[in-house]
Amino acid sequence: MLYYSLKRFALALLVALTVSLISFSLLYISSDPAIAMAGETATDADIEAIRQLYGFDRPILVQYFDWLQRALAGDLGQSYYFRTNVSALIAERLPTTMTLGVTAILFAITLAVPLGVAAAIRPNSLIDRIALFLSVMGQALPSFWFALMLIVLLSVNLRLLPTSGSDTWLHLVMPTVVLGYYAAPAIMRLTRTGMLEVLSTDYIRTARAKGLRPPVVLFKHALRNAIIPVVSLAAVQFGFMLGGSIVVETIFALHGAGFLAWESITRNDLPTVQGLILVFSLFYIVLTFFADLINAWLDPRIRIN
Amino acid sequence: MKRSYKMPLVTVALAVGLSSGAYAGKSDDTLNIAFDRELESIDNYYNTAREGIVISRMVWDGLLYRDPKTNEYLPNLATSFKWVDSTTLQFDLRQGVKFHNGEPFDADDVVFTLNYLADPANGAKPQNNVNWWKNAEKLGDYKVQLNLKTEFPAALEFLSGPIVMYPNEYYSKAGPEGMALKPVGTGPYQVTSVEPGKRYRMKKYDGYHAGSPKGKASIGNIVIRTIAESNTQLAELFSGGIDWIWKVKPDQAERIKAQGQFTVKNSSTMRIGYLNFDASGRHSKNPMNDVRVRRAIAHAIDREGIVKALVKGESIVVDSLCFPSQFGCTSDVPKYDYNPEKAKKLLAEAGYPNGFETPFLAYRNRDYAEAMISNLNAVGITTKFEYLKYAAFRDKVQDGASPFNFGTWGSYSINDVSAITSHFQKGTKDDYARDPEVIKQLEIGDTSVDAQVRKDAYKAALTRIADQAYMFPLWSYNTNYAFTKDVDFTPTPDEIPRFFTATWK
Amino acid sequence: MASSSKSEPVKIAAPLWGRSLRHQGVVIGALIVATVVLIALCAPLIAPHDPYYQDLLARLKPPVWDDRGSWDHILGTDHLGRDYLSRLIYGARISLLIGIGAALISGLIGTIMGVMAGYFGGRVDMVVTFLITVRLSMPVVLVALAVVAIVGGSLQVVIMVLGLLLWDRFAVVMRSSTLQIRSMDYVAAAQAVGCSTTRVLMTEIMPNVVNNLIVIATLEMAHAIILEAALSFLGLGVQPPLTSWGLMVSEGKDMMLFEPWLITIPGVALFLLVLSINLLGDGVRDITAPENRN
Repeated sequence: MLYYSLKRFALALLVALTVSLISFSLLYISSDPAIAMAGETATDADIEAIRQLYGFDRPILVQYFDWLQRALAGDLGQSYYFRTNVSALIAERLPTTMTLGVTAILFAITLAVPLGVAAAIRPNSLIDRIALFLSVMGQALPSFWFALMLIVLLSVNLRLLPTSGSDTWLHLVMPTVVLGYYAAPAIMRLTRTGMLEVLSTDYIRTARAKGLRPPVVLFKHALRNAIIPVVSLAAVQFGFMLGGSIVVETIFALHGAGFLAWESITRNDLPTVQGLILVFSLFYIVLTFFADLINAWLDPRIRIN
Repeated sequence: MKRSYKMPLVTVALAVGLSSGAYAGKSDDTLNIAFDRELESIDNYYNTAREGIVISRMVWDGLLYRDPKTNEYLPNLATSFKWVDSTTLQFDLRQGVKFHNGEPFDADDVVFTLNYLADPANGAKPQNNVNWWKNAEKLGDYKVQLNLKTEFPAALEFLSGPIVMYPNEYYSKAGPEGMALKPVGTGPYQVTSVEPGKRYRMKKYDGYHAGSPKGKASIGNIVIRTIAESNTQLAELFSGGIDWIWKVKPDQAERIKAQGQFTVKNSSTMRIGYLNFDASGRHSKNPMNDVRVRRAIAHAIDREGIVKALVKGESIVVDSLCFPSQFGCTSDVPKYDYNPEKAKKLLAEAGYPNGFETPFLAYRNRDYAEAMISNLNAVGITTKFEYLKYAAFRDKVQDGASPFNFGTWGSYSINDVSAITSHFQKGTKDDYARDPEVIKQLEIGDTSVDAQVRKDAYKAALTRIADQAYMFPLWSYNTNYAFTKDVDFTPTPDEIPRFFTATWK
Repeated sequence: MASSSKSEPVKIAAPLWGRSLRHQGVVIGALIVATVVLIALCAPLIAPHDPYYQDLLARLKPPVWDDRGSWDHILGTDHLGRDYLSRLIYGARISLLIGIGAALISGLIGTIMGVMAGYFGGRVDMVVTFLITVRLSMPVVLVALAVVAIVGGSLQVVIMVLGLLLWDRFAVVMRSSTLQIRSMDYVAAAQAVGCSTTRVLMTEIMPNVVNNLIVIATLEMAHAIILEAALSFLGLGVQPPLTSWGLMVSEGKDMMLFEPWLITIPGVALFLLVLSINLLGDGVRDITAPENRN
């Protein structure tokens, strides 16, 4: 178990490094860091001076290792736009995004798992069709449209919820729904599939034959087994949420890390983007790493492979 | 639209809202405002967005103040000024003024502020606003002298707008970081809380000096929130969470106005749109090098049609590379009428009877760009269109990588041709014409102090630019303001909303 | 969707056609997709107007069912006065092209990687798994933005970018399918007889994983089409005057509260297309391997 963990951890670290290197290169190729740092009104001489001073004329790999060294020491540099520490900036904006992500995934799970179970118990029934319909809606509905529709209905017309901002928990209701419904379809379909498989196994037939009551069979035995892949998926979906939160944060004026990421990209604020990518990919990797661990713990066969 | 307009999705609640939510602003004496972008810093010298200028007028004062209606320079923190010679200005300062934190205002503050800004190491933005004087000297507790580097006719313009006075004791301790979190000024509003980039709260400054041309503020509290998405701003307006928004798109503004429950006002701005051509071959050998091609394109664009259908409001077609109210601007230059037939003839003359393909770059108003592309297609010119964010657009253009682009310029609301024409045609990074004659005339205009000499030089430059179609001016821009009916607000043509003159009805 | 979870007497497998026609989802899905493809192919014949023709005096006209609409523009006009129905019809071409193109490219990349990883195992597998994880951790928006900034935006670029971003599910599924098949007797037999690796891959492995491939391909097609809509929203998708349904949705956003049909119409079209592709994919999976519902 320990060896397995170490192996997975090392691999995860390697992924994080590769992702940050690729992003770094992409960023520096697609926009000139000297111009980005110098700002709008700098002259050519200013820009050249900055290029020399900060070493932007060195090969990309060299610059990357420079950045990496400092990042490992906790220094993510200074934002070109805000002129404050990137780490402080991210630390200020991240909690909003994290809170939103957690509530959204909980919402998705609360919505999707029971729906998936219900659909699996009665396949091809009305509830199965409804589940399918909702699942397609979740994939095909543009999230900004859904967000704005909710705002118009619940906030403008019915005055039930505040429109935008992040002051109270009420402000998070609509963003949670919008972000969560996007993750729900995959979780629902996986739960449904998993339950369908498990429900037709000998294991369950035995439990039923033993005379166990249906709810016990369902939850204690079937769901526990079916839920395994859902755990990994939920972790993956949570990672995606951080990316999907850009639209939600923009529309609901939640000044979180997703909004910061998009704005920083358009403002050529390279250090902030680079810092955010590192943070996001680390989160994602940690999540999948732990999901892997949970799965390995639950199912020894995975470890041996 | 004469008929009243019903919004399909927003229902009955609006009528209900009128009696409860919509007056919330007035009932707690708070005006809620939405901006669409984050300010990098509330410190006046470390931001470049228009929103920063708006806040600056509320929180700080300059030595002078330009009256938005008469364009006169009125005394504010300085009670009088005198040109000792063409590069030396002296000011008598107003007495009895206090900063928001109680610090008294005197010559030390002025000298400190001006010397701080003059030092390029402090990185004040934009440098063009502050790099024209050498230093400031204290001549007495309320007397100051400013030494310019060279003759600079726009000096008073800058000192009555972008240059504001900072408290020396506070700023030398707190610096830009401190000012960004706890701003201190002498202006009609004082900032009570800052959530950087998210929300700014201000309240009326009761100790505001009586002789100020801005006048004392009437509305007691102002809350500014950043809401990037325009539909969300509208939703907040409809649900009563926000009382005042601006930069509303023309189609949206039209319908809100027709719907009748909010006040919608339109005002022209100093911003103009233009087409920039690679006349000098700076980018490459391409059709834009030929003056006949440039003139053809000028004839091909239906500016009037685009203004009527898309830009709307108080916008007008502009014929020279400046805004009509700017000093030195004249429309007595060669003009190009909308004439696709003539355009085709010119293209044929230049050797392109079947047109050609060209890259075309823009960063805003995608629909105007598409309309122009359609105009170009009609005379045989096809485009490879690229739509970038402003930063990427600016970089590409200034790098010499764009032979043909559509841009806009607001001159930082400075009412002088030097703020636009010189920016684009004086051999600068945006200059693709590099015409020595134009550069010479602009240089004369920028540095002479005699008004007539300046006007003549600028006219010569503008005439040549129009004749050679180095850049093709398109139209002026306008801004739509939408706000609740309990607010009395009048926009100004410099696109700097003055909330200290707004009142409740 | 699957019909075999109730116990049925075992039949000799009915011909594929027969099973397909009785499967509701496949029929509906196939019909809708076929209709869209037909519309796309016949665009020049059925579009009432030129989709690029701007009439600035006839902007934002509502569809014919609104009392301000007219039969001249059945679905109204957009913000530049272009006929919406014609744009919808021509937009089908681009959306379909994107879906098919991206699915082909990502399918090729993902299948090669997945099959190699599944068949050869060991280090090849490690490398492929590593690449998959890297790809999943890369922010899509950043890659799209960087590519567009370097190469410029165009239809080909959009298809390439989407193709390069969507291969992960192919790789994962192909890998696990190949792993399953690899240990089958017939593969061992082919190897024992001395068939070359290529031959084994082509004749034994591929035919047996092709069902899953088709299923994933249909899903990624839908995925690509929706992603393009998201990219258009951010300004990184198809460039005007070319039109796709995704671009129409993002262009209509500003008028959403006032003329909602601008978004609803292409939105419904997108929804139907994605729904039908999903039905098709699910259906194919159910028909070809009813016991393999993953």
